[in-house]
Amino acid sequence: MKSRLKRVISLALMATLFVTAPAFAQATTTMTDGHIAKIRTNCQAAILTLGQIHANDAPAYINRNQTYFSISDKLMARLNSRLTLNRYDATQLVKTASEYNSELAKFRTAYKTYDDSMSTAANMDCIKEPVSFYDRVSDARDARQAVRDIVDQLTSLINQYQQQVQAFQAQHFSSQAGSDNS
Amino acid sequence: MNESTEPIEEGVLPSSRPWYRRELFVFIVGSILVAFALVCISLALYTSSGASLLDLSRPGYQSVQSKLNQSDSFQAFSSDGPVNSDTLTQFSQLFQKQVKPVSNSSDFDSTPLADQALGIDDPTVTVAQ
Repeated sequence: MKSRLKRVISLALMATLFVTAPAFAQATTTMTDGHIAKIRTNCQAAILTLGQIHANDAPAYINRNQTYFSISDKLMARLNSRLTLNRYDATQLVKTASEYNSELAKFRTAYKTYDDSMSTAANMDCIKEPVSFYDRVSDARDARQAVRDIVDQLTSLINQYQQQVQAFQAQHFSSQAGSDNS
Repeated sequence: MNESTEPIEEGVLPSSRPWYRRELFVFIVGSILVAFALVCISLALYTSSGASLLDLSRPGYQSVQSKLNQSDSFQAFSSDGPVNSDTLTQFSQLFQKQVKPVSNSSDFDSTPLADQALGIDDPTVTVAQ
């Protein structure tokens, strides 16, 4: 009975180690003692700064999300619809608008990931776990950069749409600009 | 046809079930459990849908509420009507005006989260630089 119990406990321990070891190995980073000491000294101030950055990002996200959605819903979709109703070929514009919408969905997902990683970093006990704290800050930095990359991509798609509208105008109305007003 | 004619004594309940088997107890506990489950589901939806990210009434966000665009002044383009050069010029002007708030900004730049900015950089690397 005892040997069976020991076997069960040892199997459970091995299973736990097997599951947690990769995660632990992923979380740890080789650091010098001086670096760890500096993190311990400055991390409380760093957490305050993280909190401020996190709080300031919220209205920036909300405003951007609202504007991005309005650009899609109140401008792009409406022009595409109007062109299609007037039997123009708006394939390129529709394609750009579609790319823009999927990028907007990515923006929301990326911001959620960033928000979660910032919350994790800001709520850590950085004095007890300085290495993990450093890793979480690093994760948050990467997540923030991912959000920034998507913002750049959205800006690029907005410019692309604008150029396509101008190209469409030049293609279809360059010769009849004067006669359209009549 | 032998009906039980045992008299019920005054002040004695006909049921001998314990207090936790009573309908009222089950009803109250059931209501609490249902309410708890509904709260858990709604909180999970609030978090997973991303609605929590748009909620600045959360603790710690009251100070930044003023930075929010309270009015929706976004001007929409009409989805019906003819298409001509003037229409497209009008659209381009409207588009340029509306995209201005999001076209040039350093929002979400990763510089504020740099090790040096947070004071958690490696001192040996700093000395070497």
